[in-house]
Amino acid sequence: MDSELLEQIVTNLKEINSKLDKLIVQVENRDEQISEKERIMADSLDVITLLSLPDHLRTTATTLFEIGPATADEISKITNKERAVESNYLNQLVRMNHVRKYREGRKVYFRINDSLKKK
Amino acid sequence: MTLTLAIHSSKGGTGKTSIAMNLAVAFASAGKNTCLIDLDLRGPSLHSMFEPKSHFWINDFLSGKCSIKDTLTDFKKEMNTKAHLYMSFSNPDIREIRDLVSKDRDWQASALKALMNGKRELSEKDLDVIIFDTSPGVEYESINAVAASDMVIIVHNDTNACNSCTEQLINGVYSLLDKKCGIIENMSHNNCLDIIDKKRYGVPVLSTIPCMCEIATRGKDEILVHTDPEHLFSKSIVSIKEKIEAMK
Repeated sequence: MDSELLEQIVTNLKEINSKLDKLIVQVENRDEQISEKERIMADSLDVITLLSLPDHLRTTATTLFEIGPATADEISKITNKERAVESNYLNQLVRMNHVRKYREGRKVYFRINDSLKKK
Repeated sequence: MTLTLAIHSSKGGTGKTSIAMNLAVAFASAGKNTCLIDLDLRGPSLHSMFEPKSHFWINDFLSGKCSIKDTLTDFKKEMNTKAHLYMSFSNPDIREIRDLVSKDRDWQASALKALMNGKRELSEKDLDVIIFDTSPGVEYESINAVAASDMVIIVHNDTNACNSCTEQLINGVYSLLDKKCGIIENMSHNNCLDIIDKKRYGVPVLSTIPCMCEIATRGKDEILVHTDPEHLFSKSIVSIKEKIEAMK
């Protein structure tokens, strides 16, 4: 009787072990997928990412795509928003790594990030 | 200012390429310098009607291998149009199409940027109209074309499949990108040119073109706007051209 019970416990433990192994593999795969997704989101402003941006950021990013490198003032004249508002949106896009910020003389320019890996 | 149109549809087989080619010839015949670009990179078709004379394809431009001007062939003389009629072709070689399938988001992001830059470059070439012939549905290349356009011309036919998808595209893509839209009801079985609905899904209907076997058969070898301007189809195309210009 004791040996039967022991056998049953061993079988159950093996089953639990196998399920745990499967779970570990699933969690590792999920983590890899998330980090890959984060890398893609951070590196490229493709059209599908553009569509998933909130309205205000999408308008700013689309305008920057349309006119090329521009100052917050130039963008605000097209979008009809305050310069300070556009500046805030552009800086949000910079933090998301979709847009690059650089200085030319006294002016601060923004452009779509092109530090993309050419394949 | 250059007007950029994306000819798009939710489903294949609606007649996008035929409308795009005829519209391009109609604009050029009316004295507008026009450029037609085949952006259906996975199923190129423009080369089946016109012979490319450039060494570069639009694929080369999108990959950063050449300037957009290097991809153009002018068909003004051949088509006897008043203004220039440039065309840029997509590479029909299966190896190129196969290669395209493996392109990732980074490539598509740089292709979108290239398309925007190319559009600016063409505007400086004194072009009046740029037409992108796209692939159907939500393919990267076609949504890139929509993003780079001022207006989307939706070629629609009255099938259940088209009906359920077009509205989603309008709400989920064109509106989000803030694009003006117009619908062409193509291959309509109402057999009349009257526009039954002035608007569909909140978008103006520019024309209803009846289903005529003649268009399918003659359209294989002819651009009807060029060879038969008095044809009902050609008249519809000219009327669409005028409506698009009025919407600018």
